[in-house]
Amino acid sequence: MNDDKNYIQLIYRLIVIVISFGFLTIIWPYISSVITMLIFAFLFTTILLPLVDKLESKINSRGISIVIVTISLITTFVVFLKSFASGMLSQARDFSKQIGTKGYDDNLNSLATKLESYLNKYINFPEIDSSNFVSRINIMVGEIIQNLMSLAGAIGGFVFTTIMVLIFTIILLSNYHGFKKSIVQFIPNKYFEMGLRVIFNIERQVSKYLQGQLLAASSVALMSFIGLSILNFMGANLTLVVFIAIIAGLANLIPLVGPFAGMLPAILVAIMNNIGSDIAINHQIINTIPSPFYILDIIIMFLIVQQIDNNIVTPILVGESVGIHPLIVMISLLIGGTLIGPIGMLLAVPAAGILKVIGVEIMFLRRNAHLL
Amino acid sequence: MKNAYWKNIFTNWGKKESENVTIIKKIPIFANLNHKELEEVSKLLHDRTYKPDEYIFKRHAPGEGMFIIHSGIVNIIVGEASGNSQLLAELSNGDFFGEMALMEDEVRSAAALAKDHSRLLGFFRPDLEALIEINPSLGSKILQNLSKVVCTRLRKTNDLLMENQLVKKKKA
Repeated sequence: MNDDKNYIQLIYRLIVIVISFGFLTIIWPYISSVITMLIFAFLFTTILLPLVDKLESKINSRGISIVIVTISLITTFVVFLKSFASGMLSQARDFSKQIGTKGYDDNLNSLATKLESYLNKYINFPEIDSSNFVSRINIMVGEIIQNLMSLAGAIGGFVFTTIMVLIFTIILLSNYHGFKKSIVQFIPNKYFEMGLRVIFNIERQVSKYLQGQLLAASSVALMSFIGLSILNFMGANLTLVVFIAIIAGLANLIPLVGPFAGMLPAILVAIMNNIGSDIAINHQIINTIPSPFYILDIIIMFLIVQQIDNNIVTPILVGESVGIHPLIVMISLLIGGTLIGPIGMLLAVPAAGILKVIGVEIMFLRRNAHLL
Repeated sequence: MKNAYWKNIFTNWGKKESENVTIIKKIPIFANLNHKELEEVSKLLHDRTYKPDEYIFKRHAPGEGMFIIHSGIVNIIVGEASGNSQLLAELSNGDFFGEMALMEDEVRSAAALAKDHSRLLGFFRPDLEALIEINPSLGSKILQNLSKVVCTRLRKTNDLLMENQLVKKKKA
């Protein structure tokens, strides 16, 4: 009789799970953007919460603490964006001036010919037609201008999402402990301490992971800045060094792909600044390995930074905060990337950490059901 | 309008002492804490209600923190509920139990069972740990009080042990 009851209960649960999953699949396209915003707001809240709590205990007002933290954050972001935009603008102005200079076409075509000869010297590439190089670039520039309109739309969407995330973060920060208590309130007495344990462990896991990652990103930014400065000392003529370093640090937050994405701005700036410079085009590492525009130098510098970060900084700062096997990390990154792109990759590791915490507690519960 | 604005800013001024603060200020673990600190602690408390004969926690279950009795009666027992259980203490309003879990991530040494409709306030280790990080002076005050409570209990246990040994010797 009891077995029959359990069997019916199991079927009932399965039906409920299938219906819930189906319902979620139908409504997912409508709620996915809100859910993503909420996840980001939760992540920002986790990072800023200790700061707000600390300030609150000093000035005895949560509202004022949130205002101070939010204004500081927005100011830093705006100052960074403004300096970055003005830096990019002057960079673009210089580049357009360079394009306007007489003989630029010749410079660019000679660069293409040189590149072709370099490449052919070391690798057997099929024939590269360098005569049309400038006209091809012109077509590309036209396409870029065409895409600017869609970019403006994307920027509008980004601004809206940023404002919404900010609002959600402020709401979460002001009522975080209240929200947590409300969630805890729903846990039945039987599972109360176990539920609390799961919530605290998830909180700890996410917070440790984020703080560790932010520290690791800061260290990558600092090391990249030092590395780029050394390259400049060697004559690489790189500008926007601080921003390139910060972008490299931020890109580092996305595992596996990020470090490579962080190199791109540095390579682009190196090409833009050194176009037409024979010294840069003919540059060789230790007078043997050709590295036009210091590209190889930049790649090697970033690889060294990555090695220091992966083998020394991250193990110390992040440690075993998540404690997941590297294989599981890779699988979760692939799943996250396939599901929601780069954002999915960013969230994949903490999500795997949360699932691990829940899994461990469920296993414990199954083993010790008599203690409930 | 202006009045409401100032009221909102100075929201904590002239506020009446909350019910939870009135209860926890009598608990030795929160002794010598000022009003602001008591308010800060009271924000971390979890309000729970238990029916008669409902377990608050069982023996050997992982412990996360302590409970303060707001109202009702709680029995602290060792052994199984059915049969050979032994009542260690009967606690009522203003009493507290499970404080050892605030200091160590260990299993409960005894079970706690609500004898009557009971309202309890829970104070848990992760919250205490967060409090120590955010407000170290308040955290250290609580830890100091906690160690005093544990020392007092240890001294009482020692006295009981000695009394027991004396009785045994006399009987022998």
